[in-house]
Amino acid sequence: MNTSNKKILIIVPAFNECGNIGRTVEEIRQLSPGVDVLVIDDGSLDVTADEARLAGGMVVSLPFNLGIGAAVQTGFQYAQRYGYDIAVQIDGDGQHDASFLNKIIEPILRDEADMVVGSRFLQKVGGFQSSFSRRVGINFFVHLINMLTGVKVNDPTSGFRAYNKKMIGLFSEYYPHDFPEPEAIVVAQQAGARIVELPVIMRAREAGSSSIRYFKTLYYMVKVTLAILLHMIRQKNRGGS
Amino acid sequence: MNIHLVAIIVSVTIFLFVIDLVRRRKLTFKYAMAWLIVSGGAILFAVFYRLLFALAALLGFELPSNFIFFALFCVFVFLSLLLTVFLCQQNNRNDVMAQKIALLEFELKELKKKLKVE
Repeated sequence: MNTSNKKILIIVPAFNECGNIGRTVEEIRQLSPGVDVLVIDDGSLDVTADEARLAGGMVVSLPFNLGIGAAVQTGFQYAQRYGYDIAVQIDGDGQHDASFLNKIIEPILRDEADMVVGSRFLQKVGGFQSSFSRRVGINFFVHLINMLTGVKVNDPTSGFRAYNKKMIGLFSEYYPHDFPEPEAIVVAQQAGARIVELPVIMRAREAGSSSIRYFKTLYYMVKVTLAILLHMIRQKNRGGS
Repeated sequence: MNIHLVAIIVSVTIFLFVIDLVRRRKLTFKYAMAWLIVSGGAILFAVFYRLLFALAALLGFELPSNFIFFALFCVFVFLSLLLTVFLCQQNNRNDVMAQKIALLEFELKELKKKLKVE
Protein backbone atom coordinates (compact mmCIF):
# COMPACT_ATOMS: atom_id res chain seq x y z
CA MET A 1 0.00 0.00 0.00
CA ASN A 2 1.27 3.42 -0.88
CA THR A 3 1.31 5.57 2.22
CA SER A 4 4.48 7.49 1.45
CA ASN A 5 2.76 10.65 0.23
CA LYS A 6 0.60 10.96 3.33
CA LYS A 7 1.81 12.33 6.65
CA ILE A 8 0.61 9.93 9.32
CA LEU A 9 0.71 10.55 13.07
CA ILE A 10 0.12 7.84 15.62
CA ILE A 11 -1.26 9.35 18.82
CA VAL A 12 -0.59 7.24 21.90
CA PRO A 13 -2.13 8.60 25.10
CA ALA A 14 -0.35 7.17 28.14
CA PHE A 15 -0.84 7.61 31.87
CA ASN A 16 1.52 5.62 34.10
CA GLU A 17 2.15 3.02 31.40
CA CYS A 18 5.80 2.18 32.05
CA GLY A 19 6.28 -1.47 31.21
CA ASN A 20 3.77 -1.18 28.34
CA ILE A 21 4.57 2.02 26.49
CA GLY A 22 8.05 1.08 25.27
CA ARG A 23 6.83 -2.12 23.68
CA THR A 24 3.83 -0.33 22.14
CA VAL A 25 6.01 2.34 20.53
CA GLU A 26 8.59 -0.18 19.29
CA GLU A 27 5.88 -2.36 17.82
CA ILE A 28 4.34 0.54 15.92
CA ARG A 29 7.70 1.70 14.59
CA GLN A 30 8.66 -1.81 13.47
CA LEU A 31 5.38 -2.52 11.72
CA SER A 32 4.90 0.92 10.16
CA PRO A 33 8.30 2.54 9.69
CA GLY A 34 6.97 5.53 7.74
CA VAL A 35 4.82 7.00 10.48
CA ASP A 36 5.51 9.41 13.33
CA VAL A 37 4.69 8.20 16.82
CA LEU A 38 3.59 10.85 19.30
CA VAL A 39 3.16 9.73 22.88
CA ILE A 40 1.07 12.04 25.04
CA ASP A 41 2.34 11.52 28.57
CA ASP A 42 -0.69 12.56 30.60
CA GLY A 43 1.13 13.70 33.72
CA SER A 44 2.49 10.24 34.51
CA LEU A 45 4.23 9.80 37.83
CA ASP A 46 6.46 6.99 36.56
CA VAL A 47 9.04 6.87 33.76
CA THR A 48 6.48 6.55 30.95
CA ALA A 49 7.95 9.54 29.08
CA ASP A 50 11.56 8.29 29.23
CA GLU A 51 10.56 4.79 28.21
CA ALA A 52 8.62 6.11 25.22
CA ARG A 53 11.49 8.39 24.17
CA LEU A 54 13.96 5.54 24.46
CA ALA A 55 11.77 3.43 22.19
CA GLY A 56 11.97 6.15 19.56
CA GLY A 57 8.71 8.00 20.07
CA MET A 58 8.20 11.74 20.23
CA VAL A 59 6.89 12.61 23.67
CA VAL A 60 4.68 15.52 24.67
CA SER A 61 4.36 15.68 28.43
CA LEU A 62 1.31 17.34 29.93
CA PRO A 63 2.20 19.19 33.15
CA PHE A 64 -0.44 17.29 35.12
CA ASN A 65 -3.05 14.61 34.53
CA LEU A 66 -5.79 16.00 32.30
CA GLY A 67 -7.59 12.77 31.48
CA ILE A 68 -7.66 10.66 28.34
CA GLY A 69 -9.83 13.06 26.32
CA ALA A 70 -7.63 16.11 26.76
CA ALA A 71 -4.54 13.96 26.18
CA VAL A 72 -5.83 12.66 22.86
CA GLN A 73 -6.93 16.17 21.93
CA THR A 74 -3.36 17.39 22.48
CA GLY A 75 -2.36 14.85 19.85
CA PHE A 76 -4.95 16.24 17.44
CA GLN A 77 -3.65 19.74 18.08
CA TYR A 78 -0.14 18.59 17.24
CA ALA A 79 -1.38 16.87 14.08
CA GLN A 80 -3.29 19.99 13.09
CA ARG A 81 -0.32 22.28 13.70
CA TYR A 82 2.07 20.16 11.63
CA GLY A 83 -0.35 19.39 8.84
CA TYR A 84 -0.73 15.63 9.21
CA ASP A 85 -3.14 13.97 6.80
CA ILE A 86 -4.07 11.05 9.01
CA ALA A 87 -4.10 10.56 12.78
CA VAL A 88 -4.41 7.18 14.43
CA GLN A 89 -5.19 6.78 18.10
CA ILE A 90 -3.71 3.73 19.80
CA ASP A 91 -3.85 3.15 23.55
CA GLY A 92 -0.51 3.05 25.31
CA ASP A 93 -1.33 -0.01 27.40
CA GLY A 94 -0.51 -2.57 24.71
CA GLN A 95 -4.14 -3.65 24.21
CA HIS A 96 -4.18 -2.62 20.59
CA ASP A 97 -2.36 -4.70 18.03
CA ALA A 98 -0.31 -2.38 15.82
CA SER A 99 -0.36 -4.93 13.01
CA PHE A 100 -3.89 -3.66 12.27
CA LEU A 101 -2.56 -0.17 11.70
CA ASN A 102 -2.38 -0.38 7.93
CA LYS A 103 -5.78 -1.97 7.75
CA ILE A 104 -7.43 0.70 9.87
CA ILE A 105 -6.15 3.61 7.78
CA GLU A 106 -7.01 1.98 4.48
CA PRO A 107 -10.57 3.37 4.21
CA ILE A 108 -9.15 6.84 4.90
CA LEU A 109 -6.45 6.48 2.25
CA ARG A 110 -9.14 5.46 -0.21
CA ASP A 111 -11.25 8.41 1.02
CA GLU A 112 -14.14 6.16 1.94
CA ALA A 113 -14.26 7.26 5.56
CA ASP A 114 -13.46 10.25 7.76
CA MET A 115 -13.17 8.15 10.87
CA VAL A 116 -12.44 4.44 11.31
CA VAL A 117 -13.15 2.59 14.54
CA GLY A 118 -11.32 -0.63 15.25
CA SER A 119 -13.85 -3.04 16.67
CA ARG A 120 -13.25 -6.25 18.60
CA PHE A 121 -16.89 -7.35 18.27
CA LEU A 122 -17.49 -6.95 14.55
CA GLN A 123 -16.41 -10.46 13.71
CA LYS A 124 -15.75 -13.10 16.28
CA VAL A 125 -12.10 -12.98 15.37
CA GLY A 126 -10.99 -13.92 18.84
CA GLY A 127 -8.59 -12.11 21.09
CA PHE A 128 -9.58 -10.13 24.14
CA GLN A 129 -13.36 -9.68 24.27
CA SER A 130 -13.69 -7.87 27.63
CA SER A 131 -15.55 -9.07 30.70
CA PHE A 132 -19.27 -9.84 30.72
CA SER A 133 -20.29 -6.72 32.61
CA ARG A 134 -18.19 -4.55 30.33
CA ARG A 135 -19.83 -6.09 27.28
CA VAL A 136 -23.28 -5.36 28.72
CA GLY A 137 -22.22 -1.75 29.18
CA ILE A 138 -20.74 -1.53 25.71
CA ASN A 139 -23.92 -2.99 24.22
CA PHE A 140 -25.92 -0.32 25.98
CA PHE A 141 -23.86 2.38 24.24
CA VAL A 142 -24.22 0.65 20.90
CA HIS A 143 -27.99 1.06 21.20
CA LEU A 144 -27.88 4.53 22.75
CA ILE A 145 -25.67 5.90 19.97
CA ASN A 146 -27.70 4.11 17.35
CA MET A 147 -30.90 5.60 18.76
CA LEU A 148 -29.53 9.14 18.96
CA THR A 149 -27.60 9.31 15.71
CA GLY A 150 -28.68 6.38 13.58
CA VAL A 151 -25.09 5.18 13.39
CA LYS A 152 -24.34 1.62 14.41
CA VAL A 153 -20.90 1.22 15.94
CA ASN A 154 -20.39 -2.17 17.56
CA ASP A 155 -17.47 -1.21 19.76
CA PRO A 156 -18.07 2.42 20.76
CA THR A 157 -15.59 2.31 23.66
CA SER A 158 -12.72 1.22 21.44
CA GLY A 159 -9.82 3.65 21.56
CA PHE A 160 -8.24 2.23 18.40
CA ARG A 161 -9.24 4.74 15.74
CA ALA A 162 -8.07 6.49 12.61
CA TYR A 163 -9.05 9.96 11.45
CA ASN A 164 -8.54 12.04 8.34
CA LYS A 165 -7.62 15.71 8.11
CA LYS A 166 -11.20 16.89 8.50
CA MET A 167 -11.58 15.03 11.81
CA ILE A 168 -8.17 16.23 13.02
CA GLY A 169 -9.40 19.79 12.53
CA LEU A 170 -12.70 19.12 14.25
CA PHE A 171 -11.27 17.28 17.25
CA SER A 172 -8.35 19.66 17.79
CA GLU A 173 -11.04 22.31 18.38
CA TYR A 174 -13.41 20.23 20.45
CA TYR A 175 -12.97 16.77 21.88
CA PRO A 176 -14.98 15.37 24.81
CA HIS A 177 -12.91 15.15 27.97
CA ASP A 178 -13.78 12.54 30.56
CA PHE A 179 -14.55 9.19 28.93
CA PRO A 180 -14.52 10.42 25.38
CA GLU A 181 -14.76 7.42 23.07
CA PRO A 182 -18.56 6.94 22.82
CA GLU A 183 -19.23 10.68 22.86
CA ALA A 184 -16.66 11.33 20.14
CA ILE A 185 -18.72 9.14 17.80
CA VAL A 186 -21.75 11.34 18.42
CA VAL A 187 -19.67 14.49 17.88
CA ALA A 188 -18.28 13.09 14.65
CA GLN A 189 -21.66 12.01 13.34
CA GLN A 190 -23.13 15.45 14.05
CA ALA A 191 -20.30 16.98 12.05
CA GLY A 192 -21.36 14.81 9.14
CA ALA A 193 -18.43 12.39 9.31
CA ARG A 194 -18.44 9.10 7.45
CA ILE A 195 -17.76 6.52 10.16
CA VAL A 196 -16.51 3.07 9.22
CA GLU A 197 -15.91 0.19 11.59
CA LEU A 198 -13.36 -2.55 10.97
CA PRO A 199 -12.69 -5.72 12.93
CA VAL A 200 -9.47 -5.81 14.97
CA ILE A 201 -8.10 -8.15 17.59
CA MET A 202 -7.35 -6.74 21.01
CA ARG A 203 -5.23 -8.20 23.74
CA ALA A 204 -5.67 -8.19 27.49
CA ARG A 205 -3.53 -5.62 29.25
CA GLU A 206 0.08 -6.53 29.84
CA ALA A 207 0.79 -4.38 32.89
CA GLY A 208 -1.03 -1.80 35.00
CA SER A 209 -4.79 -1.56 35.21
CA SER A 210 -7.48 -0.33 32.83
CA SER A 211 -8.84 3.16 33.37
CA ILE A 212 -12.31 1.63 33.50
CA ARG A 213 -12.22 -0.75 36.44
CA TYR A 214 -14.65 -3.61 36.77
CA PHE A 215 -16.72 -2.24 39.65
CA LYS A 216 -16.88 1.17 38.03
CA THR A 217 -18.68 -0.07 34.93
CA LEU A 218 -22.10 1.10 36.04
CA TYR A 219 -20.81 4.50 37.09
CA TYR A 220 -19.07 4.79 33.75
CA MET A 221 -22.30 3.95 31.91
CA VAL A 222 -24.36 6.52 33.77
CA LYS A 223 -21.73 9.19 33.37
CA VAL A 224 -21.13 8.68 29.67
CA THR A 225 -24.87 8.49 29.00
CA LEU A 226 -25.40 11.83 30.73
CA ALA A 227 -22.43 13.29 28.88
CA ILE A 228 -23.84 12.18 25.53
CA LEU A 229 -27.32 13.46 26.34
CA LEU A 230 -25.89 16.78 27.52
CA HIS A 231 -23.91 16.95 24.32
CA MET A 232 -27.11 16.59 22.31
CA ILE A 233 -28.62 19.72 23.88
CA ARG A 234 -25.44 21.76 23.63
CA GLN A 235 -25.35 24.77 21.33
CA LYS A 236 -23.52 24.22 18.09
CA ASN A 237 -20.25 25.87 17.07
CA ARG A 238 -18.99 26.36 20.57
CA GLY A 239 -15.34 25.49 20.81
CA GLY A 240 -13.77 23.56 23.64
CA SER A 241 -12.20 26.55 25.35
CA MET B 1 -29.46 43.56 72.44
CA ASN B 2 -32.09 44.03 69.85
CA ILE B 3 -32.31 41.52 66.96
CA HIS B 4 -32.99 44.42 64.63
CA LEU B 5 -29.68 46.03 65.55
CA VAL B 6 -27.81 42.70 65.24
CA ALA B 7 -29.18 42.22 61.73
CA ILE B 8 -28.05 45.70 60.68
CA ILE B 9 -24.57 45.25 62.18
CA VAL B 10 -24.04 41.84 60.57
CA SER B 11 -25.20 42.89 57.10
CA VAL B 12 -23.21 46.13 57.17
CA THR B 13 -20.13 44.21 58.32
CA ILE B 14 -20.43 41.77 55.41
CA PHE B 15 -20.94 44.63 52.98
CA LEU B 16 -17.87 46.50 54.26
CA PHE B 17 -15.86 43.29 54.30
CA VAL B 18 -16.61 42.71 50.61
CA ILE B 19 -15.63 46.30 49.78
CA ASP B 20 -12.42 45.90 51.75
CA LEU B 21 -11.63 42.68 49.88
CA VAL B 22 -12.06 44.50 46.58
CA ARG B 23 -9.93 47.38 47.86
CA ARG B 24 -7.14 45.00 48.88
CA ARG B 25 -7.47 43.28 45.47
CA LYS B 26 -8.42 39.95 47.00
CA LEU B 27 -11.69 40.02 45.10
CA THR B 28 -12.22 41.24 41.56
CA PHE B 29 -15.27 43.26 40.59
CA LYS B 30 -16.72 40.39 38.59
CA TYR B 31 -16.95 38.14 41.63
CA ALA B 32 -17.66 40.90 44.14
CA MET B 33 -20.82 42.02 42.34
CA ALA B 34 -22.94 39.08 43.47
CA TRP B 35 -21.85 39.50 47.08
CA LEU B 36 -22.38 43.26 47.07
CA ILE B 37 -25.90 42.84 45.73
CA VAL B 38 -26.76 40.18 48.31
CA SER B 39 -25.32 42.07 51.28
CA GLY B 40 -26.82 45.34 50.02
CA GLY B 41 -30.22 43.65 49.97
CA ALA B 42 -29.61 42.33 53.47
CA ILE B 43 -28.89 45.87 54.75
CA LEU B 44 -32.04 47.17 53.07
CA PHE B 45 -34.21 44.55 54.77
CA ALA B 46 -32.40 44.91 58.10
CA VAL B 47 -33.07 48.66 58.17
CA PHE B 48 -36.58 48.59 56.72
CA TYR B 49 -37.70 45.36 58.32
CA ARG B 50 -41.36 46.24 57.79
CA LEU B 51 -40.66 45.89 54.07
CA LEU B 52 -39.45 42.36 54.76
CA PHE B 53 -42.58 41.52 56.77
CA ALA B 54 -44.81 42.94 54.08
CA LEU B 55 -43.04 41.02 51.36
CA ALA B 56 -43.22 37.80 53.41
CA ALA B 57 -46.95 38.26 53.94
CA LEU B 58 -47.47 39.11 50.29
CA LEU B 59 -45.76 35.90 49.21
CA GLY B 60 -47.83 33.93 51.73
CA PHE B 61 -45.19 33.01 54.32
CA GLU B 62 -46.67 32.40 57.79
CA LEU B 63 -43.56 33.70 59.52
CA PRO B 64 -41.10 36.31 58.27
CA SER B 65 -38.26 34.08 59.53
CA ASN B 66 -39.36 31.35 57.12
CA PHE B 67 -39.14 33.87 54.33
CA ILE B 68 -35.61 34.84 55.39
CA PHE B 69 -34.47 31.20 55.40
CA PHE B 70 -36.08 30.56 52.07
CA ALA B 71 -34.57 33.67 50.50
CA LEU B 72 -31.12 32.85 51.90
CA PHE B 73 -31.39 29.32 50.59
CA CYS B 74 -32.24 30.61 47.11
CA VAL B 75 -29.37 33.08 47.20
CA PHE B 76 -26.86 30.40 48.13
CA VAL B 77 -28.07 27.98 45.51
CA PHE B 78 -27.73 30.70 42.90
CA LEU B 79 -24.32 31.78 44.17
CA SER B 80 -22.96 28.22 44.16
CA LEU B 81 -24.26 27.70 40.64
CA LEU B 82 -22.51 30.88 39.59
CA LEU B 83 -19.32 29.70 41.27
CA THR B 84 -19.58 26.35 39.49
CA VAL B 85 -19.77 28.20 36.19
CA PHE B 86 -16.65 30.17 37.05
CA LEU B 87 -14.96 26.97 38.18
CA CYS B 88 -15.75 25.24 34.88
CA GLN B 89 -14.44 28.19 32.95
CA GLN B 90 -11.21 28.13 34.93
CA ASN B 91 -10.95 24.38 34.50
CA ASN B 92 -11.32 24.64 30.73
CA ARG B 93 -8.79 27.41 30.50
CA ASN B 94 -6.44 25.40 32.67
CA ASP B 95 -6.72 22.41 30.33
CA VAL B 96 -6.17 24.53 27.23
CA MET B 97 -3.14 26.13 28.83
CA ALA B 98 -1.68 22.80 29.92
CA GLN B 99 -2.03 21.50 26.36
CA LYS B 100 -0.41 24.60 24.92
CA ILE B 101 2.45 24.47 27.42
CA ALA B 102 3.07 20.79 26.71
CA LEU B 103 3.22 21.40 22.95
CA LEU B 104 5.43 24.48 23.33
CA GLU B 105 7.77 22.61 25.65
CA PHE B 106 8.05 19.83 23.10
CA GLU B 107 8.79 22.29 20.30
CA LEU B 108 11.37 24.07 22.43
CA LYS B 109 13.17 20.78 23.13
CA GLU B 110 13.17 19.90 19.44
CA LEU B 111 14.55 23.33 18.54
CA LYS B 112 17.32 23.02 21.10
CA LYS B 113 18.19 19.60 19.75
CA LYS B 114 18.38 21.01 16.22
CA LEU B 115 20.59 23.89 17.35
CA LYS B 116 23.00 21.49 19.02
CA VAL B 117 23.35 19.45 15.85
CA GLU B 118 24.12 22.45 13.68
